[in-house]
Amino acid sequence: MQSKAEVGDTYLVARAREGYLDAYELLAQRHSAMAYRVALRLCGNHHDAQDLAQEALIAAWQNLDRFRADSSFHTWLYQIVTRRALNKLTRRRDTGSLDLLGDAADPSAEPAAQAERNFAVDAVTDALAALPFAQRAVVVLRHFEGLSYAEVAEVTHSSVPAVRSHLFRARRTLGTKLEEWR
Amino acid sequence: MSDPPSDRQAHHLLASATLACGADVDLLLEQVADGLGGDRDAHQRECVHCQAAIEEFSAVWGPVTELAGNPVPAPPGLTAAVMSQIRVLVRDVWYTLQTTNLGVIRIAARTVAALARDAAHTVPGVRVALGRSTHGGLATPAERATFGHHHPHAAVGVLGRTAVVDLAVAISYGDPVHEVARDIQRHVISSLRDNLGLQTITVNVTVDDTLADDGQ
Repeated sequence: MQSKAEVGDTYLVARAREGYLDAYELLAQRHSAMAYRVALRLCGNHHDAQDLAQEALIAAWQNLDRFRADSSFHTWLYQIVTRRALNKLTRRRDTGSLDLLGDAADPSAEPAAQAERNFAVDAVTDALAALPFAQRAVVVLRHFEGLSYAEVAEVTHSSVPAVRSHLFRARRTLGTKLEEWR
Repeated sequence: MSDPPSDRQAHHLLASATLACGADVDLLLEQVADGLGGDRDAHQRECVHCQAAIEEFSAVWGPVTELAGNPVPAPPGLTAAVMSQIRVLVRDVWYTLQTTNLGVIRIAARTVAALARDAAHTVPGVRVALGRSTHGGLATPAERATFGHHHPHAAVGVLGRTAVVDLAVAISYGDPVHEVARDIQRHVISSLRDNLGLQTITVNVTVDDTLADDGQ
């Protein structure tokens, strides 16, 4: 479909609420990578992340009438993915390894250097997985997704001081774990 | 003044609240994690403790930054799977194009809407076109026309060779709205008639936005 880059989310959300499914399809195309990426980093493995991203995008469509116009669809979807990841992990009590590698290996890298980089990435993956969910969520949203403190607070229904407090603790824990790996 | 931290002292630093110079460890780590390790203030430019800590934290935090920069694409088919499930949840409408002794040809109204949308896109001045087939303007006439007769595989109506399509369009700023809208109606009706064999076609066009050349 052409012109997808020309319209903002606000326009597409409005049309989707009026029943234009292809408007929502554009929104889903635009944000599916983010939903999957955050789900992967929060809940661990590809299959859970794919299910979670799919559920979140469907839930967003089903609840479009509750979407507040003063928010952004992007932020709202972050909220839905994060909340659903928490629910899934709480039900399962699974804090196993997070597979964050995806398909990002650099084929041009020297094998030894690539192996070392993969070890480093694995170390981050394991350190993230060991964090309590609240700390993991703020690290993912702030340092992986690049959200501002205010946006992280909005997504997590928290306050900026609380977000910073979680981040302070999470960074120290991650730093200590990564220092042990070095 | 005490000696600056030696190599591999991140663990020791992270167990402290402040450096020997009084700098807050959390704030230094935040500075590094936010990618601002190179943006040093006047104190940090002079202080060996801060400089050593920033270097140490940068080395420790490097793998996090690297991992965060790795692209994670959406799995193929994710959006299609989402839309497929959503279409199951909405009531779909079907047109019966032909009923002969060879069998019945049906086409989903959303397919008609997609063809109409794509036809509208080719009209000069149209920047965005969205087609609607399952709500409001289409679903209601479909149900009325079919007296509630539903397709056995879904909650669908059968509307024969009559189509009602709603299009929401955004056009280029400055183009004559009524002319573009009429062009859309003519072009879409012609396209649906030629491509699908639909006979009676109503195309409702809602121009709900105008876009400047930069897309705003």
